[in-house]
This record gives sequence, C-alpha cells and structure tokens, in this order.
Amino acid sequence: MSPQREESEIFRTTPGRRQALQRAAVGFGSLALASLLGSEVRSENVPGNNRQNPLAENPAMFPARAKRIIFLFMSGGPSQVDTFDPKPLLTRDDGKPLPFDKPRVQFNATSNLLKSPWRFRQYGESGLWVSDLFPNIAKHVDDLCMIHSIHGTNPAHGGAVMKIHTGSDNFVRPSIGSWVSYGLGTENRNLPAFVTICPTLAFGGINNWSSAFLPAVFQGTPIGNASIPSEKATVRYIRNSRWSKDLQEIQLAQLRRMNHQHLETTGADANLEARISSFELAFRMQTELPRIEDLSGETKETQQLYGMDEPKTANFGRMCLMARRFAEAGVRFIQVTHNDDKVQWDQHSDLKAGHEKNAMEVDRPIAGLLQDLKARGLLEDTLIWWGGEFGRTPTAEADGRDHNQEGFTMWLAGGGAKPGFRYGATDDYGYYAVENKVHIHDLHATMLHLLGLDHERLTWRHAGRDFRLTDVHGNVVHDVIS
Amino acid sequence: MNVTSGFRILIIAILFPVRLLAVDETSPETANRQFETHIRPLLTQHCERCHGEKKQWSGLRVDSREALLKGGDRGPAIVPGDAKRSLLIQAVRHQGDAPAMPEEGQLTNREIEALEEWIRTGAHYPNGKISTQITRDPNHWAFQSLADAQPPEVIETSWIRTPIDRFILAKLEAARLAPSPPADRVTLIRRLTFDLTGLPPTPEEVDSFLADDRPDAYGHLVDRLMETPAYGEHWGRHWLDVARYADSNGLDENIAHGNAWRYRDYVVESFREDKPFDQFLIEQLAGDLLTADDPHTRRQQLTATGFLSIGPKVLAEVDQPRMRMDIVDEQIDSVGRVFLGLTLGCARCHDHKFDPIGADDYYGLAGIFRSTKTMDSYVKVAKWHEHQLPGDEAVQIQAAFEQDIVQRKQQIASLTEAEVQRLRTSRASGDTVEIPESEFSTEARAELGKLREQLAAKEKEGPELPSAMGVTEDEISDVAIHLRGDPLRLGDVVARRVPSVLRGREEIAFPSTHSGREQLARWLVDPSHPLTSRVIVNRVWRWHFGRGIVRTTDNFGLLGEKPTHPELLDWLAREFVNGGWSMKSLHRLILNSNTWQQSSAASETVIKGDPDNQLLSRMRLRRLTAEEVRDSLLAVSGRLDSTQGGPVLKVKNRGYLFDHTSIDLTDYTSDRRSLYLPVIRNNVYDLFQLLDFPDPAIPSGDRVTSTVAPQALLMMNSDFVLQMADSLSDRIHRESESESMRIARLVQLSFGRPATDQEQQQYSAFLAQADTSLMSLNVEESVRKRMAWSVLCHTLLASNEFIYLK
Repeated sequence: MSPQREESEIFRTTPGRRQALQRAAVGFGSLALASLLGSEVRSENVPGNNRQNPLAENPAMFPARAKRIIFLFMSGGPSQVDTFDPKPLLTRDDGKPLPFDKPRVQFNATSNLLKSPWRFRQYGESGLWVSDLFPNIAKHVDDLCMIHSIHGTNPAHGGAVMKIHTGSDNFVRPSIGSWVSYGLGTENRNLPAFVTICPTLAFGGINNWSSAFLPAVFQGTPIGNASIPSEKATVRYIRNSRWSKDLQEIQLAQLRRMNHQHLETTGADANLEARISSFELAFRMQTELPRIEDLSGETKETQQLYGMDEPKTANFGRMCLMARRFAEAGVRFIQVTHNDDKVQWDQHSDLKAGHEKNAMEVDRPIAGLLQDLKARGLLEDTLIWWGGEFGRTPTAEADGRDHNQEGFTMWLAGGGAKPGFRYGATDDYGYYAVENKVHIHDLHATMLHLLGLDHERLTWRHAGRDFRLTDVHGNVVHDVIS
Repeated sequence: MNVTSGFRILIIAILFPVRLLAVDETSPETANRQFETHIRPLLTQHCERCHGEKKQWSGLRVDSREALLKGGDRGPAIVPGDAKRSLLIQAVRHQGDAPAMPEEGQLTNREIEALEEWIRTGAHYPNGKISTQITRDPNHWAFQSLADAQPPEVIETSWIRTPIDRFILAKLEAARLAPSPPADRVTLIRRLTFDLTGLPPTPEEVDSFLADDRPDAYGHLVDRLMETPAYGEHWGRHWLDVARYADSNGLDENIAHGNAWRYRDYVVESFREDKPFDQFLIEQLAGDLLTADDPHTRRQQLTATGFLSIGPKVLAEVDQPRMRMDIVDEQIDSVGRVFLGLTLGCARCHDHKFDPIGADDYYGLAGIFRSTKTMDSYVKVAKWHEHQLPGDEAVQIQAAFEQDIVQRKQQIASLTEAEVQRLRTSRASGDTVEIPESEFSTEARAELGKLREQLAAKEKEGPELPSAMGVTEDEISDVAIHLRGDPLRLGDVVARRVPSVLRGREEIAFPSTHSGREQLARWLVDPSHPLTSRVIVNRVWRWHFGRGIVRTTDNFGLLGEKPTHPELLDWLAREFVNGGWSMKSLHRLILNSNTWQQSSAASETVIKGDPDNQLLSRMRLRRLTAEEVRDSLLAVSGRLDSTQGGPVLKVKNRGYLFDHTSIDLTDYTSDRRSLYLPVIRNNVYDLFQLLDFPDPAIPSGDRVTSTVAPQALLMMNSDFVLQMADSLSDRIHRESESESMRIARLVQLSFGRPATDQEQQQYSAFLAQADTSLMSLNVEESVRKRMAWSVLCHTLLASNEFIYLK
C-alpha cells in the first residue's frame, strides 16, 4: 500500500540518467534523485500507492492545492495574546491570579495575569483581530487563515523548535521540508528543493533542516545562518574564489575526460555516472543560485514593498524577497527565519520593547511578501505559514511572558488555506487551546494534504519501521481548507 | 465554487477508492493495521484500565471483540456495522443515557470518528494470539542458536583460500556462475590499505609490495597494516559510528562533551591492541563494576562506560521524570541496536509491533538502566556524571593543585607579615604588638581581599582532574511499566531481567545490590547468545565488503533483512567466539579470502547472473568515506599530521558549542586525521556532512553513500580542497624535476599507479590550455605556471579515480 522505500536500494545505486526510468520502480525517491541529477523526469509526480510503479497507474495521491510552502519562522515564540488572539478578560483581570491551574510542566514559574500592552482592532471584510503590532499585515487579514488553537508538547526552545520542524522533540527526524522534497521532488533541476534562509544554529541546529534518514538530496540547503546578515547570506562553496568561469569550464572538460577514461576501466557504473552528472549540475547551480540571491534587478518599488528602504526592516525584507524569488524558481520548501543575536521573540522580560522591535522588523516585509505574491498570482499555489515554536503565557514573568506550548496562534495564507478565516480558540485568558484543538502533528498533516500528500502514506522504511512526519499522530484539519 | 469542490470529491473518489470504500476493504492486513494504528491505542490508553484484564467495571471489558459484543451490565457495547446504536459510541460522544466516557475527558473528534468508522466497517478486532504468531515470531531466524555449519563442498577447490571462499563459491556454483578473477596487485594494495587504515598507500609502499616476491607477500601486508597506529584509528572510527560518538550533546542544549575524547582514544586503543570483543563489550556496559590491578586498566574500564553516557539528551527538559526515562530509553535503544541488532526502543510505549519484545521486556531492561546513574543532576541544564580517573596524571594534577593552594596561602601570609612589619617599623612599636588588619593600608587590604577571593575561587573549583563521561550505580530499583510511555501512568512493576525471547535456558539472577549491568553484559557475551556474535561479525563483514551478510546491520528483527549467506554468518560467528573474539583474526580470515580479493570489474555473464551482487561474484566499487576523502587529500599533498589522541575542543567542558547567536565556535583548521576533528552534533563539520558522515546522534553501522551536487561544489570550490591542490603542486615541484616526472609523480600519488602515455600528453596539453586562460591575470610567468599546476592537481583530486576504490 504505502510507498515504502528501502533506503538501501536508493542509496546504494544512485541511478544514472539512462537507468532512471527503469530504477523508478523502487520508488519516487530515486525519481527525485534522478531529476536532481538532470533526468527529464518531471516533478509533478508525487509518491503513488503502487510500489511496483508509482508512475504508471496512480501518479498523484490527490490533487494538490499548493505547490510549495514558505515558512516564516518567528524564532523564540511570539505571544498570541499580544498579536492575533485578543482576550478581553485578560485585560479586565490584569494582575489577578489565573483562575485555573497552570500546566503540570512549566518552563519557568510565572505570577499573575498580565494584560496586553497593545490595542486590538478588527480589519477587513473578515473582521479578524490584529493588535497594533502589525499594522501592515493587518491590511491582509482577508487572505489569512488564523489557527488560534495550535498546541505542542514541549515548553523548552530546543524541543519545541525541533517539534515544529521535524514533528519530534526528542529524536532526530527528517525536517518537514525534507519530507516535502521527498514527496514532490523539485520543479527546477538547477536548484535544491528545500532552502532555509538564515536559520538559527541553536536549538537543534541543522537537525531542523536535515533529512535525517531520508537520502541526502532531500536535506535543506542553508543560505547563510542567523549570525550572518541576509545581504551576505549564500550557499557554501557556491563561488570559486580563484578561477575564472572560463578556466573552470576548461577544468570541468578535463575532469569529464578523466572520469570517462576511468569509467572505461571499471565498466558501466551508476554511481560513477551520477557523480559525473553532479559536477555538471553543480556548475549550473553556481550560475543559478547567485542569480536568485541577487536582488539588484528588482524594481525600487518592489524593494520598498519589502521594507528594504529602511534599515530596521531591510534585513528581513531581503530574506522575504529572496523567498519569493526561490518560490518563482520552483523551490518546494522555503524557510525564512527571524532570529537576531538573541532568541528574537523570547520576551521573558521587557515584553513591550521586545515585541515592538520584533514586530516592526517583520511587519512590512511580510505584508510586502503577501501583496507581491498575490499580485503575481503566486499566492494561489504558495502556502505561507507563519509562527513560532510556541506562544507565551498570559501570566507574567517579570514584565514579560514565559513559554507556552499549550495554546497559541499560527496563520496560513494562500495555497488552499481558507482566507479571512479564524479557527479554534484558546480559553478566556489565552492559556490553553480549548476549541477545535490543532496539534503540531495536525498542522503538519494539513499542510502536507494541501500539497497533495497523504501524511499517513508518505513513509520511509528505516531501522525496521515505516516513519512519517506525523509519527503515529496527526489529523487533517479539513475545516481550514478552502 | 460548488462545482469545483464537487469535482474534487469525485476525483478523490476515483483516485483514492480505499478511503471512501473502506467497507469493502477486505484485506486483513489493512484492517489489522488500521486497528493497531487507530483503535487499539485508544482502547488501551482510555478504556482498559477499568475495562480490561485487571478490572471490569460495570462488567465490561474491551480487550476482545467477543467481550465487546457481550458487553457489560448495560448490554452489548458495540453493534458491528451500526455505530449509532453502539453504546461505546454513545458513551464517548456523551450522548443518551450512556455514561460519559472516558472519565478523564472526552476523546477528540478524530478519535471518535475513528471508532465510528471502525464499528461501521465491522469492528475488526485482531485476535491477540494470531497477531503474535504472524509478526512477533519467536522462531525468527535471528533468535535461534548458531547453527553448527560446516564449510560446504565445492567443485573448483583451487579457488579456496580460507573457508569463507567455500560458502561463497558454493552459492555461485549453484547459480552456475564463476567468481571474478583476482584484482591486480596495484588495485589490491590500494584497496587493502584503505580498508585497514583509511589512508592511501604511499608510492614507496606500493613499490615495495610489487617487489615483494614471497608467496605470502599479501598476508604479510595484511599483518603489517594491522600493526600500524592508523589501523586503530580507522577501525576505532567504525565503532564510533555505532557508538554514536560525539564531542557535543546536540539536541536542545548543544554543550561540549569536553572529555568524550577519552572514550574515543579508549576505543582506538582497544582495536589497536586487539582487545577481545567480549571484554570490550563488558567494559562499555559495566566497566565501573569490574576490578582492576593497575590504574591504566581502571582508567580504561571507567572510560569505557562513556558508551552509555555519550548519547544525546534533552538537557533542558523541564519534565524531570521524563528526562530520566528518555535517557534510559536512549540507552536501551542503543544497547539494542548496537549489540543485539534489535529496535528495543519501540517497546517503550507498547509491545513491539513486529518483534517478540513486550513492554514488560523493555521495562525489565529499564530497571537495569534506571538503577544506573548517568546524571548527577536533572535540573535544567542537567549535568551528566563524570568519573575521576586514577593514575599518575591525577596524582600530579592533585599535587600541583595542593601546591598552588599552599603557595597562595603563603603569599597571603607573607603579605600580611610584611604589612605588619611595615606598620611596626613606622610606629616604632615592639615586635610583639598585635596589629589588626583593619589598620592596614587601603592598598594592602585591597590586595589581600583580592588574593583571598582568588584562593576561595580556586578551592571551590578544585583541581581539574582527569575525568571521563561514564556511568555508575544509582539506587537499585525495578521499574513499573509506563503505559504508553507516560511516566505518570504506571502499570505493573517488572523485575529487572533480559527479554524473554532471548533469555536462554538459564535464568539470570539480578542482584538487589547492583544495577545488573554486569549480568546483562555477561549474558550478552555468553557463547550461546544467538545475536551478539552474529551482529558483530556481520558489522565487520559490512565494513570490509560495503554490505552486510544481513544488509540491515542494526536490525536483525522481523523487519530486518534475512542473511544472504546464513550458514556463513553462523560459521563466522562461531569461529569468532571460539577464536577468543579477536578482531584481527577475523580480519585475516576475511582479507585473506579469495572472495575479498576479487576484481570489481566483472564479466557480462556475472553481472547478468548476479545483478545486485547478492552472491558476491565480484568486489564492490567503493567511494571513500568523508574521513578518507579528507585524510587522503592531506596525505597525498604531504600535509597529514599523524599526531595521535588527545582533546580536540577549544570550548570548555559543558560550555556551549552553539547558542542563540549561531556563531560557530568550533575550529576545523587542523592537518590531523579526521578522527581528531570535533564531532559536533547539530552542526557536523560541513565536509563530513556533505560526504555522508552518519548522524552522530544515532548508532549507525551502515553508512550510506549519496551523490549530490553540493559535494561537487565542495570539491570544486572549497578553500580546503584548493589549498590541498596547492600543497600537492608544491610537493611534486619539490620532489620532481621535469614536467613529465611531475605528472608521473602526481598520478602515482593521487591514484597509486603509473601514469599512462595518454595521460602524460593530455595533462601536458591541459597545463598549456590553463596557462593560456590564466594570461588575463597579468601575473609573472612562473606564478602563472604554478597556478596551472594547481588547477591540474585540483582536477585529479576532484576526479572519480581519486575518490572511488576498485
């Protein structure tokens, strides 16, 4: 039934061009691989449920609503009750004790209720609420699908970040971007299927974009990291610091000659042939990637739209614009991380100043991204996913808030998410998700569903069992799908 | 809109009939899977505590279809095919008169819908016994005693060099295939040197082997290579893959395993001195419980237990009982995969789905590891335990520390004395007059205060004695089954024991005075144990041949692959145990076989008859591992620093390798062997990462080999590879005079063979071509010529022949 793939089969015999179709019988993984290595096999094929031949009979699991995801990751955990989930009772009962129990496990001790320092207003035809932190995103609420009842399992950054990215907070598992790449392959044979722009190396680090036991082709390609300004962020080794392109071409020609002579002594071998192709692809990537990262060709208006005209929004704006360019170029999963030299949104204290600074840095760039994608018709099939690893407590820790994985808000936009819609709710004070609860696993299942992937059938056989992004959990939340 | 969505439903119905027509789905496998995935966990978790084997409140139990049909005091609990009329559904929906269940809170909509769907489709309830027989097969091959297999008879006896060849040839002959001819000697020495040392042979070593005309020259070469330090480093690294070795914790709090290197060096030393594997195993699980005659042995024993401690831990887990059980779980899972080839970790939350390992078996083992102390503190950021290591080093450090303290005290005393003398002199008072410190000068008081503070800090810090991560004994107790793995939902307490299916004839007594790690270890190395010896000889086979006899080296369970040569596996295992668990004997047995010495270039007939090389009708082409690539680059360019052992981190023990700033604090600029580069979880050195270094967070006995474009970028553009090319160019200019001699030397160094005439011409032409291209740089001719050589060297280093072994 499921497209189980034996890692051994794919790993050990990377198919060469001429064997790609024949080898396809072992599963789509090798097709994606073949496609990365320059075969003509296109990426519209998702893993079918026919193990013998995923192409022939059942090429798609079901029609997809989205072709790609852009994940805007707000590292540190923005507060739901200060951004998108207004709580009048929290304002009323400011300073009073929480009238029900706090969770058994908390990260730090918190005291009494703390009202939000920001005013909330309703926007758009949908009348969704947004606080004054996000005046620009607020203009796009009619495109947003807010889920107020997200909940996770881990109150520490490390566990929660890994949970959001991999579905597991205590084991090393493939990242959601790797699962998506594995499921859908790439639309652009000159680029990786999964890129992550300026990710944080803390709290799981590369595990958050690693393919774990999935083949290495499905791992995320980091564009810089959080310690590097986005202006300087690029893929490692993408440029040769010494030789001209002309000389590199001469060199590659010589390398090709040598490799073919070597091949004569060994006899035909898929791995050796694949390695020959990989150099050709690398050479093409050298041209293609910098072209996408180079924002100088964008109009002034576009750059302004993303806030690149202002120092405070320029860094994140550049990342968002790069994300759009990757989306246009056919990359499947693009992550943009908002993380400064602290844990950006982690306001255990000084909530007011901290959240104000953070929101200001992303508000215009994100609004710009939404507007730009929409104008280009890309929002149709691009799913935007916004959120942090958890929310924050409505109760106070100094003049800030503690971590809270019990109930928080994430929003989706485009790609089949129901626009201008709110789903689920937290309690009167915004501590626990209580209505239409959506676990991280459910969210993962839903997003895969929008990409045309059944989270229960997107599996990989490893260490004796079939693994999937949602482990043994996850339900598709059909109510948030338009 | 409606039209579209209606259309979509139609498409889904066509493409995905299984979901909508589940009623007609008759495959029992699917039904079993549905039940085991969605229904049984619900019933176990939410119902069985009150309606199961132990208790039957209201006369109801839910642990079989019959019991549900019979129902309790209120009548049948389910009506197959009719969810609405089923009491069970009314109860979980909180509808009608049925009691609202479960008591701890309503199920989610999805869970309720799953139950309804299950009842609607007939309430298929797999019988426990049947499912045990199908999947949890105690008669699975790997649980049976080692067969007393004898090397089989073959026709072509002249091909036999070691008994291994008989097992391989017998199967080839049965398939009417002949093995491939032996590899030529140049190929052989290159293959063998990499196999045993992870390094290329030097041109001089190649020459001397080619010149060695003794009939057993090859056997001598095997023996010589096994005695080199590089052998211990290379084979120790194999074990470190399995031991999930890392110099940092990884996971959430990526802090330094500042003393992990001692475990690494222990492993290298153990391989080098051919420590019997049974002893090696016992030391790693229970070294602290053994006795030693000398400090060196004691240090080794204590350091060895680092195996249990070195796994990744969620050190900021605020749920302390969970952290404790997570660590125990990681240990059980590692011991299972590493020594038994079993995924025991599965049984933490439920009976193993496929192997006959019950949750009770798991918690029997959990008792052993919970009675073991891995952590000194569970308070975030939690602290792992470290052993202080006895011996001269410790004595010297302790002595130096004590001397330092004495000196500091003396300094304070003499400063005090000097100040008193100064005041007495200035006041002209007698030698016996007491002067309190409060009358000292401000400067003197400040200086004294500073010195005392420093002294106090030093005393508090204590000497930095040599320490190693490792485990010791904790309070001894048995552990209760954690229902669904939840530390708050406890079931029956299970006495510490080994898994029933593997127990063997004799019951092992687990003492109440010890954790039982030693008993566990000794049980594992009992010659009659069906798994331990099979698993390790299969690992060694994998490391020599690139593929195990059992391909899934870390899983011998029901979902693992079956051995391609089961008799050979058992024969090897017996031979290994009878030969005193000696690794080097096992190497000799394998490397001296004709099987291992076959050529990798096979005839059409052989490829047709054995397309996947299941029968070992030829050798496999092998790409170098990440470490081999880097070490070879350093070796051929003449830069390799062969210093052995010692610490590698610049960050202090328990210091952060990575924090929220994302700045990489690890330094990889070193010319030492890759074994001595830091292994940082969450951010493995990118050269390693790109070339398939295994995830150091999980045991890995079967590295994969991927071929992706970023590897090509690394070889084309990284400063490291470019520098190696420069060094190689420098080397051939140092060592050879003319262009043709340099080309010859370059090929000899890079590929271990003489250059062909064709290569001489081609490379010479390439140098000229590169030179022309470099003209535009306007540099001196000599500089330009050297640049062209660099490009040529670089090209060879990036080539397939450099990175693949025949």
